[in-house]
Amino acid sequence: MLSVRNLRKEFDTVVAVDDVSLEVKRGQLFGLLGPNGAGKTTTIRTVLNILYPDAGTITFDGKPFSEEMWNIIGFLPEERGLYRKSKILNTILYFASLKGMSEREAKPVAFRWLERFNLTDRAYAKVEELSKGNQQKIQFIISILHKPQLLILDEPFSGLDPVNQILLKEILLELRKQNIAIVFSTHQMEQAEKLCDEICLINKGRVVLNGSIREVKQRYGKNSVHIEFEGDGGFLKALPYVRKADVYQNYAEIELTDMSKTKELLRSLDDKIELRKFEIVEPSLNSIFIETVRLPASAPAQQQGVMA
Amino acid sequence: MKYLNVARWEFMEKVTSKAFLISLLLMPVIIIAFGVLPGVFAMKGDDRTITVGVIDETNSLIEPLALRLEEKYKLPDGRPNYLLRNVGQQESFEAMREKANTMVANDEIEGYFHIPATVFDSGKVEYRSENVGNIRLVERFSRTLEEVVVELRARAQGYDPLEIKQLLTSVDVRSIKVSASGEEKESGFLQTFFSSYIFLMMLMFLVLTSGQLLIRSVVEEKSNRVIEVLISSCSARDLMVGKILGLSGLGIVQVLLWALIGFVVWARFEGIYVEPATLLLSAVYFVLGYLLYSAIFVTVGSPVTTEQEAQQLTSYVSLFLVFPIVLAVPIMQNPNAPLVTALSFVPVLTPAFMVMRMPIQMPPVWEIVGTIGVLTVSVIGMMWVAGKIFRTAILVYGKRPTPRELLRWLRTA
Repeated sequence: MLSVRNLRKEFDTVVAVDDVSLEVKRGQLFGLLGPNGAGKTTTIRTVLNILYPDAGTITFDGKPFSEEMWNIIGFLPEERGLYRKSKILNTILYFASLKGMSEREAKPVAFRWLERFNLTDRAYAKVEELSKGNQQKIQFIISILHKPQLLILDEPFSGLDPVNQILLKEILLELRKQNIAIVFSTHQMEQAEKLCDEICLINKGRVVLNGSIREVKQRYGKNSVHIEFEGDGGFLKALPYVRKADVYQNYAEIELTDMSKTKELLRSLDDKIELRKFEIVEPSLNSIFIETVRLPASAPAQQQGVMA
Repeated sequence: MKYLNVARWEFMEKVTSKAFLISLLLMPVIIIAFGVLPGVFAMKGDDRTITVGVIDETNSLIEPLALRLEEKYKLPDGRPNYLLRNVGQQESFEAMREKANTMVANDEIEGYFHIPATVFDSGKVEYRSENVGNIRLVERFSRTLEEVVVELRARAQGYDPLEIKQLLTSVDVRSIKVSASGEEKESGFLQTFFSSYIFLMMLMFLVLTSGQLLIRSVVEEKSNRVIEVLISSCSARDLMVGKILGLSGLGIVQVLLWALIGFVVWARFEGIYVEPATLLLSAVYFVLGYLLYSAIFVTVGSPVTTEQEAQQLTSYVSLFLVFPIVLAVPIMQNPNAPLVTALSFVPVLTPAFMVMRMPIQMPPVWEIVGTIGVLTVSVIGMMWVAGKIFRTAILVYGKRPTPRELLRWLRTA
């Protein structure tokens, strides 16, 4: 659906986005991750044709941006805001009309979503009468009302309470089933870890990690297995595919040369020790994020070389 | 086509807002209050006889004055409007003044005239009262006194007062406007002045109200970041054109309503005549002028981030509009002076200048064609500039751009 190649965007003195490439397919939840000021929002704005790229190409199903894209893109900006003095339903219908929907088409859909978010009774209230969280829900409705094919959400979870975060997650998963390509940026790694099919971690304008969660974790992973057992674990260190093993009385942390060897390891343990627990330990996305972002400036490039 | 959606939204949201309805209704009330009420008050006659004191040192004026006043000024019910009361002339002036002042303080008399013995030579008379703002009373008395004094002077020289009166009959000039087609139409300077002026005022109101709304709406969308959603839904051009259309629709509704009230009120007093050709051309200048100013407002307004800055900029742009109004009277007196012709070709002044000049004397055809041409080209150019600036500026927050940045935006985008 969306393909970004070698995108570059400079502002006066800063290179906000530098050689960013990413690929988002239909029916995919794509997480755009990165610390504050990494270039996530600039990337999104460039994709949306709000900003013009200095270099690189952005295509939608192989075609460059055209006027048709306006009707098939949904967007929730990072900084929220609506017309404060306007009525909620009117506001929703206005944005729907800009996406090419007639009032007759949009109205029932608007009410369906308002009901979903428990806001039906506020349809004729003014925006300013709503709480911030509820305003955000209205904005979310605006971004999805016209059934976009590409949905871009900048920090959709921030500002929502846990209940509504779950609701939003449900809806995103439903939309994914409807074969919509969804891109969302977030700081909340747990959300990304649970939801995303693919992620792209940006730092200082450059892609430092990308791929499916599994790939990322494997590439970045410590390839370690934790086991609890009874018996003598001394042989563990001598196994050929074990790079390093910390063996304690009933517990061992083993680092493998290759993650695909876990089954072999498991088999070889069978007759030698009484196994109580066998756990393949992956670093959480959170720790990958922290570790990647904390690396000195020269390191990400090197890391990227490994990834590519 | 999305500009129609934008236009509809801008129009409907503003037209149903309380602020708009209030200003819509309040303005005519204010206009009427300012324009009509003072006149009504000033014109309202007295409903009781006013007693005015007189200290007549000549001792010969009070009687003819009283007679003449009674003749000329009567209350609606037939009683005399003014009653003269002789304060006396025996004592010294100081003593009489004291006496008269006490009478004024006790409300026995409204005020008093002091006619000195030297009045025939100096022509000086004094009026003292608690309320010296009663212009009508002073004006009537001084006119009547003048008549009486002149008559007495004439008689003293051996002339017949009636003869003098005839000799002094004033000349009354009636102005008749001859149109290009040779048609004659009685029309005073005032009528012409006001029909030009109304057009000018309408243009100013329209530009100011919708210009201000335009800037405010851009500033609002920038500050609540709705602009990002809009720009990912339609082109900046759609957005700009839609805003200009929607808000000018709003301005036109407002101005038309006010104009209607104005015409109804005014027509009752004076009657206005505008030639169809003038009306048509005025409409052309009006629309072009309006578009030019809209583009200017968009250009200066879109880089702005706060209401205060917006307010400031609006007032600068308004100066261009006020300038022709300041020059209105001289322009109307010399509608074809070379300087006026030259200034008519300055695009920001063209609409106001031409609209003022046309009802007085239709400028030559080359000037009309030329000014419309220049204006059209500048509208197109300014719209182009506005579009470019708008596209970039609406996404710039925080600091105001420098002129150099603005130039760069024009080249890119």
